[in-house]
Amino acid sequence: MNDRMSLFPYILAGLRNKPGRNIATAFCFAFIAASIFSGQYLLAGAAGGIGQGISRMGADHLVVPVDYMALMGGRGPDNTIPIVRAEPSVFRFNRSIMDTIGRARGVSGMSPQLYVTTMYVPALAPTPIDVYGIDPDTDFTILPWLEHPPEHPLASGEVFVGHGIKGEVSSSINLNRHHYTIAGRLDPTQSGADTTVFLSLGDAYDLAATEGTLPASAPRILPGSVNAVLVRMGPEAEPDVVEADIRRLVPPSSAAVIGRHFSLDPVSRDIQDLSGVVSAISAIVVLAAFPLIALISAMVAHERQREIGLLSAMGGKRRVILFLVLSESLVLAAAGGIAGIGGGLLTIALLDAPGFLGNAVPVTFIMPSAMETLVLAGFAMSAVVLIAVVSSLYPAFRISRMSPYDAIRSGG
Amino acid sequence: MIEVLGVTKSFRGPGREVRAVDDASLHVGKGEFVLILGRSGSGKSTLLGLIAGLVRPTSGSVRIKGNDIGLLSDNSLAELRAREIGFVFQFSGLLPTLPALENVLVPTLLCRGGPGTRSRAREILARVGLTEREDAYPATLSSGEMKRVAIARALINGPSLLIADEPTGDLDVDTEYEIMDLFRQLNLEGMTIVMVTHNPDLACFATRLYVMDRGKLGLEPGPFPAKDREPGNAAAGAPDDE
Repeated sequence: MNDRMSLFPYILAGLRNKPGRNIATAFCFAFIAASIFSGQYLLAGAAGGIGQGISRMGADHLVVPVDYMALMGGRGPDNTIPIVRAEPSVFRFNRSIMDTIGRARGVSGMSPQLYVTTMYVPALAPTPIDVYGIDPDTDFTILPWLEHPPEHPLASGEVFVGHGIKGEVSSSINLNRHHYTIAGRLDPTQSGADTTVFLSLGDAYDLAATEGTLPASAPRILPGSVNAVLVRMGPEAEPDVVEADIRRLVPPSSAAVIGRHFSLDPVSRDIQDLSGVVSAISAIVVLAAFPLIALISAMVAHERQREIGLLSAMGGKRRVILFLVLSESLVLAAAGGIAGIGGGLLTIALLDAPGFLGNAVPVTFIMPSAMETLVLAGFAMSAVVLIAVVSSLYPAFRISRMSPYDAIRSGG
Repeated sequence: MIEVLGVTKSFRGPGREVRAVDDASLHVGKGEFVLILGRSGSGKSTLLGLIAGLVRPTSGSVRIKGNDIGLLSDNSLAELRAREIGFVFQFSGLLPTLPALENVLVPTLLCRGGPGTRSRAREILARVGLTEREDAYPATLSSGEMKRVAIARALINGPSLLIADEPTGDLDVDTEYEIMDLFRQLNLEGMTIVMVTHNPDLACFATRLYVMDRGKLGLEPGPFPAKDREPGNAAAGAPDDE
């Protein structure tokens, strides 16, 4: 036990003196913290969802051999689902075409894909599976669909498997006498990717060269040949402009361009608008809180004039009085802030449990990580502490400057 | 110990200036028990505020242990009050959420280098007759007990001067005399006390009596019973220990 009185017990004693009023004040701080924290947390969750959604949209354009388009009657596939994987076909071109595509305006990324074969492996799936080669260094369509981010890029001897393929991560699979380790599993895509095994391009060429992989009648797969080049646009690029430029650059006799027919941009814009609305609401809550908390602080300071005057008479310096009044406000803000953040988290968890959030937000709601949550909590706490300091500064300053004689005689 | 020379304190009232204290002079020697008697509104509390350095004079000078409070900064004045002066007011000013012992310790927050410690607080509570009540909360204390706790709180930092503003104003007669007896004992042990009251019956406790009327201070001629008391009490006009 301290031999002398320390500041904290005195502050707590002061707070216990008017429990109703102080609980109400702490509740104000809790409400502010909960509003700020929950708003930002939901936004971060929605932004995470839209971010994942956008990253999983795959390619913006698919450049394929012109023969493939001719086979499709010039229409190409009904491309209203994310372009994650090229269509299986035996039409190929050399991946050197990427040098030409890369010169098109607005192209920010490219990745080749090779359809190897379709085989029936009962141990892996009850239906035939597709085998694809991807370039692990440039891939941007398969990686976002993995259940868990990979620890390292896909290496030789490793595969990613679609959601419909059997086998756990780190287990082995056998494709035509070649053994591979599953390095990652994809979330459901509701597309052919669900029953696809993805190898590195080098492994794909090796597997293709192995007797029995391709049907005897199928054309050989030469090293360097690919079925499609998946193209990603830069953020400001216009799809039509990019498509036209690729068409202009690649020889029309060798390749064709398939564009995507849908976009998540409107949803993304909605989320950004929502972000503005939530930030505005947070700002209004903060602005409304200032006078409210300032009024409470002024009331408290007035109510405690005599006590403060007595402290001052007993030798309390102005800065000590100022510190005391501010500290009480800070303790209330801290208690309210912690309660508000905790309450906000609990409310979100309760809403999230039955899937309410998922239904309310037009994208998958992804809970922010622990670190992001800590940052958001820190932001909310900083806001309430700032409100506490700013709103109680003037009353604290005023009472600390008051003559102890006047404070004692006029205080209640 | 205290020299008040030609002190005036004016306040701005509605449309006019009010002289709460008008050209007052006063001397308080070490070990004295000075009583300032006056009716409500006579200016005696303002004079006490001037003596204690709670309020600065409009003119004249107030010296506490040689320090002219008009020349001291607010911080120096606060330090002087923390070290040298104990205060007892009509209201006890105890924090209701702290037990008696903790209430006594409150001034140790403000005078970190002073003698106030928990063991000293217990000693002082014993000195004011509250040994058994150190854990009691103010709500469970009688008026007299609360006043004793307030007196113990005033003594925790070992002041040489006790300032009391109507300390018995809200007490019944029996309790009033109990408290005054306590003051007398403290004075007998060497504590200098300056007290204001409107009760002329308490004059018998003083070694020197001043009367305040409409801001004017006058020395009431003796003799006073307390002046000829037992050793430990310095007679009126004893040399200061500045």
